[in-house]
Amino acid sequence: MKTRNGTLWLFIIPGLILYSFFFIIPAVSSLLLSLTNWDGMTYQFDWVGLKHYGDLARDPVFGKALGNNVKFSLTVIIFQFGLSLFFAILVMKNTKLNVVYRTIFFFPTVVSSVSIGFIWMFVYDPNIGSLNLLLNSLGLESLARSWLGEPSLAIYSIAFVQFWGHTGQVMIIFIAGLQSIPKDLYEVANIEGASRWNAFRYVTWPLLAPSATIVLAYTTIQSFKSFDLIIAMTDGGPNYASEILSTFMYHQAFTYFSFGYATAAAVVLMLIIMVVTYFQFRLLKADRVVY
Amino acid sequence: MMKRGSGFALSIMLLSALTLSACSNGEGAADGGGKKQTINFVHWRGEDTETFNSIISKFEQENPSINVDMTVFSSGDPYNNGLQAMLLSGEGADVFVSTPGSLFSTLLKSNAFEDLSGTPLLNSFSPDLIKSGQSDGKQYAIPYQLVYNVPVYNKTMLDKLGIQPPKDWDGFLAMCQKLKDEGITPILYGYDVSPGQLINTLVMNLMPEDDSFNKFQTGEVKATDPWFAEALTRFKELVDKGYILKNASGTKYEGALSLFAQQKGAILASGSYSMATIAKQNPAIELGLLAPITTSGSDAKYEGVHTTTFMLAVNAKSKHKEAAVQFAEFLAKPDIAAEYANATGQLLTVKDVKYDSKELIIQSEWMSKKTVFQPRLINTNKKIETALNESLNMIVGGASVEKTISTTQAEIDRNLTK
Repeated sequence: MKTRNGTLWLFIIPGLILYSFFFIIPAVSSLLLSLTNWDGMTYQFDWVGLKHYGDLARDPVFGKALGNNVKFSLTVIIFQFGLSLFFAILVMKNTKLNVVYRTIFFFPTVVSSVSIGFIWMFVYDPNIGSLNLLLNSLGLESLARSWLGEPSLAIYSIAFVQFWGHTGQVMIIFIAGLQSIPKDLYEVANIEGASRWNAFRYVTWPLLAPSATIVLAYTTIQSFKSFDLIIAMTDGGPNYASEILSTFMYHQAFTYFSFGYATAAAVVLMLIIMVVTYFQFRLLKADRVVY
Repeated sequence: MMKRGSGFALSIMLLSALTLSACSNGEGAADGGGKKQTINFVHWRGEDTETFNSIISKFEQENPSINVDMTVFSSGDPYNNGLQAMLLSGEGADVFVSTPGSLFSTLLKSNAFEDLSGTPLLNSFSPDLIKSGQSDGKQYAIPYQLVYNVPVYNKTMLDKLGIQPPKDWDGFLAMCQKLKDEGITPILYGYDVSPGQLINTLVMNLMPEDDSFNKFQTGEVKATDPWFAEALTRFKELVDKGYILKNASGTKYEGALSLFAQQKGAILASGSYSMATIAKQNPAIELGLLAPITTSGSDAKYEGVHTTTFMLAVNAKSKHKEAAVQFAEFLAKPDIAAEYANATGQLLTVKDVKYDSKELIIQSEWMSKKTVFQPRLINTNKKIETALNESLNMIVGGASVEKTISTTQAEIDRNLTK
């Protein structure tokens, strides 16, 4: 028995070392750094205890960033999840035309976020952008906006670009999930006289739950950690209207040299993602069916 | 037992690792058998890479034992980020540059600068123009570039309309109205760059002392003070009368510059550093610098704002300090400085430089004018600097002066330097 345990440990240890080195040690270091006033430039710092966490609670910019993050994430999760599932159902069958459509939908995924950001900045430009020019040419001048300049619009304009860029990526996960559902279940549902909606509700959805869990968790984490698109398009502006937690941390660290404070924000972000992901898994686990 | 192929591969890897480690400390065999040093020059001006490559190649020809590598990061946060990593590692940034203000202050606190006081290098610079690199009487960094943070205007357009650059606030408003009547946007504004530039000329004649901006961080000066409120009121007037680009809060600097080059606006809220880029985009436009004088002509103390920046510094931890200083000295040679200035369109703090480009001749005329050092950069607290810049963006976004002042002061109060 002892030998067996030793052998098991031998298999576990390399992975554990790597995991500790790349995940556990940095996470613990972050936690410790969040208790210091490290400026990121020197090796000197003072311990400040939980001061940064208190400051975060009182910081209106952090509050705004958190609120923007919720708006951004909800918009991205709802649209990216819904659209990717919709497109996956449309192009699920392996026909030549569907393969072409899948490639088109997937294409933005291979373009870097910064490039996507720059392309959409030109589209959104209020003076020379193609979106306003299109609206004006259609006689819809009243709809033309400063898409990235209006504080109430900026975060949604970027959220649109985010799910435009990633819907094709998660669509692939749904296609894989849909194709793994046994066809005979649909045949049975058909014989039983189930409508298309009922077939989806009682056959597709429960069997798609594992894929949906992955998509939901991935989209949530991705939207909470979204960074490059916002930095490229607005840098968090105007007046912090598109600042989210990741850009807040970046600005604190590299603009204001408050690394300790930025790390405290990172710890809060990590906790938020952990809690949200935990509840998502629990929620979707309830819908899961095992045959 | 190790296979022969694997053993050979391992030997190659070890040999490569040894070779790389030998090179990583910046030393290798020189042609003459002596030690060749490699220094790294870190800066943010990607647009000057070609010119710097030419200068570096000349330096290496004159100094065969020194090799210069150049690392360029984009200005702002990416530069801070990259420089920070290099300085923390203790290697990699032998000669680097800094801006005055908060970056200089942070680097100073981290003891990154070698003290250059008393070195012959200083003799190449105009003493009045290198003060921003000093602290406690010591010269830690040497500003290389001289920038005028004064809006650029289309002289061709104004001449055609018979408009003379105004000397007071009423004249400025009259000029803007005439331009607007002609269907021209008077002031082009990019929300990312313009506030940090325009705020300087808006306050230069209203602030009670030249160092008033520095006093925001200690609480001695407040956004509620009448002079600052007046500066914001003046700016609000420009916005409300439609003199600032419509949708400015959604327009980046590059977009505003492009509109200026297309002659869709008369004034670009930026600084002299934009002139070379504009001249490249539309050489047909004759350019000038024009600051809004926010007072009557008789009350105006200053005609504009200047900054000495791109401050050359030697890393205090560099293993090749002597070579690093040699490279800085080379950059300060009048003929090399002239090559850099004329190729990049940047005015310099170096003495006896002969400028031959049209834009530089216009800029150099400003050296005899009465200008104040950029108020924004007198402040060393970046969070307060951002709050003050953002006050203009709030007004562009439609906020009232009162709301802007209260929001700005609240942000300042939260970040006072203790």
